[in-house]
Amino acid sequence: MNAKPYLSVGLMLALGGAVPASAFAETLIVNSYGGPYEAIIEERIIKPFEEKYGVDVVYDAVGSASQDYAKIKATKGQPGFDVAVMTASQSLQGCKDRLLEKLDAGAVPNLQKLEPTLAAVAGPCGAVHEVQYMALLYRTDKLAVAPTSWSSLFDPQLDGKIILPTFQNVMAVFLLEIMSVVRGGDMIDNIEPGFAAMAELARQSIGFEQSSAILESYIKDGTVWAMPFWNGRAQLLVDQGVPVDYVRPEEGTIPLIATLNVPIGAQNKQAAMAFIEFFLEKSSQEAWVTGYQVGSARTDIDIPVDIRKRQITTKADLDGLKLPDLSRIADKLGEWGERWERDVVSQAN
Amino acid sequence: MSTIALAAPAALPSVPARTSGYLVLAPSCLLLIIFFALPMGTMIGMSFTNAETLAPTLFHYQRFFSDGLSLSGLYRTAVMSLLVAFCVTVLGYPIAYYLAGSRSRWRALVFALALAPELAGVVLRTYGWLIILEDRGFINDALINLGIIASPLPLSKNLFAVVVGLTHVVLPFGILSLTTSIQGIDPNLERAAQMLGASRLSVVRHIILPLSIPGIVSSLLISFTMAASAYATPALLGGAGFKVLATMIYEQVLFYIDWRFAAVMAIALLSMMLTVSFLGIRYETRRSLRRSNREGGAA
Amino acid sequence: MNRVLTFLFWLAIVLVLTFITLPLLVVVAASFSPTSAVTFVPWEWTVDWYGDLLADRWLQPFLLSVKIATLVAIISGALGVLAAYAIVYERVPGSDALMAGLLSPLSVPQIVKGVAIVLFLSIIGLQGFLGTPALIAAHVVLALPFVTRMAATSLANFDGNLDRAAQSLGASKRQRLQHIVLPMIKPGVLSGVTLAFIISFNNIPLSVFLVRPGDTTLPIAVINYLEYSLDPVMAAVNVASMAFILTVIFLFEKIGGFSAQLHGGSK
Repeated sequence: MNAKPYLSVGLMLALGGAVPASAFAETLIVNSYGGPYEAIIEERIIKPFEEKYGVDVVYDAVGSASQDYAKIKATKGQPGFDVAVMTASQSLQGCKDRLLEKLDAGAVPNLQKLEPTLAAVAGPCGAVHEVQYMALLYRTDKLAVAPTSWSSLFDPQLDGKIILPTFQNVMAVFLLEIMSVVRGGDMIDNIEPGFAAMAELARQSIGFEQSSAILESYIKDGTVWAMPFWNGRAQLLVDQGVPVDYVRPEEGTIPLIATLNVPIGAQNKQAAMAFIEFFLEKSSQEAWVTGYQVGSARTDIDIPVDIRKRQITTKADLDGLKLPDLSRIADKLGEWGERWERDVVSQAN
Repeated sequence: MSTIALAAPAALPSVPARTSGYLVLAPSCLLLIIFFALPMGTMIGMSFTNAETLAPTLFHYQRFFSDGLSLSGLYRTAVMSLLVAFCVTVLGYPIAYYLAGSRSRWRALVFALALAPELAGVVLRTYGWLIILEDRGFINDALINLGIIASPLPLSKNLFAVVVGLTHVVLPFGILSLTTSIQGIDPNLERAAQMLGASRLSVVRHIILPLSIPGIVSSLLISFTMAASAYATPALLGGAGFKVLATMIYEQVLFYIDWRFAAVMAIALLSMMLTVSFLGIRYETRRSLRRSNREGGAA
Repeated sequence: MNRVLTFLFWLAIVLVLTFITLPLLVVVAASFSPTSAVTFVPWEWTVDWYGDLLADRWLQPFLLSVKIATLVAIISGALGVLAAYAIVYERVPGSDALMAGLLSPLSVPQIVKGVAIVLFLSIIGLQGFLGTPALIAAHVVLALPFVTRMAATSLANFDGNLDRAAQSLGASKRQRLQHIVLPMIKPGVLSGVTLAFIISFNNIPLSVFLVRPGDTTLPIAVINYLEYSLDPVMAAVNVASMAFILTVIFLFEKIGGFSAQLHGGSK
């Protein structure tokens, strides 16, 4: 039999299987989000970082925070990326499961510059680089008066004019919790009123969507007149000239505390720590806040007043928010997910 | 999947060939063991253990049968797959009949068109259907602009959309399977019937259809199997309102991170598919047995 | 009556073909659209999105998909031919069971196979294998049944007389294999190899759990992109991808005669 095919196969296998990024050149793999997030983080954080440290950053825009954590767990802490952008929930979970590296002030001195209460929410395995909240986004050309309460989502004029996130989008849990508070319950133990409210909202809604891009497309083209949305992306829409605005309703809202995390099996830990330190620099935080329109946990940054007004940047701002016990929520997720399918999704259309 | 009849060429004297034969099979077997048998075994094993203590338990199976959502997911998957199987076979039959019998130069074009979707990849086709079917999509937009309806028809994020999308995805395979079967029908039978004065309709009803039943069954089986295991199309076209087992498995793995429960769902899906395949193959073998008995007895 | 039937028949054909091509046309239109909304007015069309295709974010996954698909096609082709050879030609004992074993992965949904592989690899500590190596291996397992079956069918249809004639004329086994058997099964094997390439290139459910950052295939990159944006870029990527596959098939057709296989084989 002709041996040539075997030789070429072998050669190709050898070439194909060769070690990709060499282990000693400085590379850092950062896992984060796509869309506008990617464009802004590239410009304001990653490029300056690459220039300052001479490190080559590979940007991986795959997966939501929970999907990232699932990967970290499945690979026992060696997911293939060195830094992940996740949230306080995953930071706490990862610390408990011993899958995330503990971050201390020795490796990341800027951690000390963060507001202690905010930083504590994420625990020792997460560095808080961004703070957002769930706002109520609405079309200024369709609603004569700006809504002031979460209950305005129940208005008859909004029947068929709202859209809800799917349960896999963390906004759904936030909405469930705040509705529970609005209806007299609380955010974890007495969640009944929350589910009742969500079932009602499902009847008002035109459906459920997972991705922020798709959700925002509905309000952009006017099919939807009001919906819950992250304040950062909401502000970006306003800046783009879309006739929308957003409010923080009177009953309060829940913050999304985003974190930078390092899996315990990361290949380039030194570069990872340097990246986190860089992201938490005063200048970087200022660039990030003004770029992505979000809040910061650093207490000493200088940002324009009109941005500061709509962001979470101080302890006083934080006091106005409702912060549920994230680790308890993680345990409830399975049970709530099932209830959501049974009681909420079934009510749609 | 039915096994093919392997007619061997005349036996070649080969004692050393036995060992060389096994040696030659070794790499394939190794690959299958490491990347199929062992992982499947691991998954089945995991479904019987507790996540923390690793002690054996039937908890996950109990949960599957009692939580109400998993069984409806299984039911939904089955119904959807049956509908897809039916649609694919019905839609594919005319094309297959044409491809099997035609000698015209258009045959190649029709053939290419019938298979083209498969090359396009699932995402492209599903995305296309989304654009056509969604509330602010092509169909609804046109109907509303023409004043025929006032508010959009719910054509997406439901069973209908998923069936349409999956039928489109699976159609090439159904057509291939039906074409092969119809091609195998002796054209003399058709010619003889026509010479004896039978109308086209009679020929199709009494000769073509009955003789193509193995192909129909094969097409139904293949379509059912492919539809039941599909992920991307039901995820994109079914949305939150229509979840099949494949999408639920995906959620369990990547969102709830409950791999044992995911394993149980996976085993349930696999069992359903194996059952249907088994029934189909048994029907096929029974049928060919009956026919050979008849033929044998007719001597 | 006959004429009515004939008319209905052709109508059915036209309708089904329209059904088949409709979404493809829509996506092609979408790839030229200036905004995320699809327009069918050709004078508003733009080719800007196709320019984006050369960006790293699409080029990398594309090249990786090509690399993986090529390796998968070669490996499954080789293994499939070997397996078919052992089972059909040599008739090693237990052939039927072996064939059934090789075909068994077909009954398992791809998403299930993917999950199982990730779980297995992490339990035995080989997480590093995820990414390209695991993708290649898993795709080969996926494609192998098809290639083996096609090669086996070719071998089964192969006229044993030619082989026996050569044998009686004194040709060695090696010569017979090289000059008679292999050339005769070439169409079948090439069809199988082409199919393996397409299966691997377009694959999603199996690959979803096996990709690693920096190691993503094109279809999965597209699905991920859909999570965040609705740009027509995605439509352009899809169209370009399809054009690429058509080219591959065309080339294979030229080399080996794919359609010969499907038009009825060597008979």
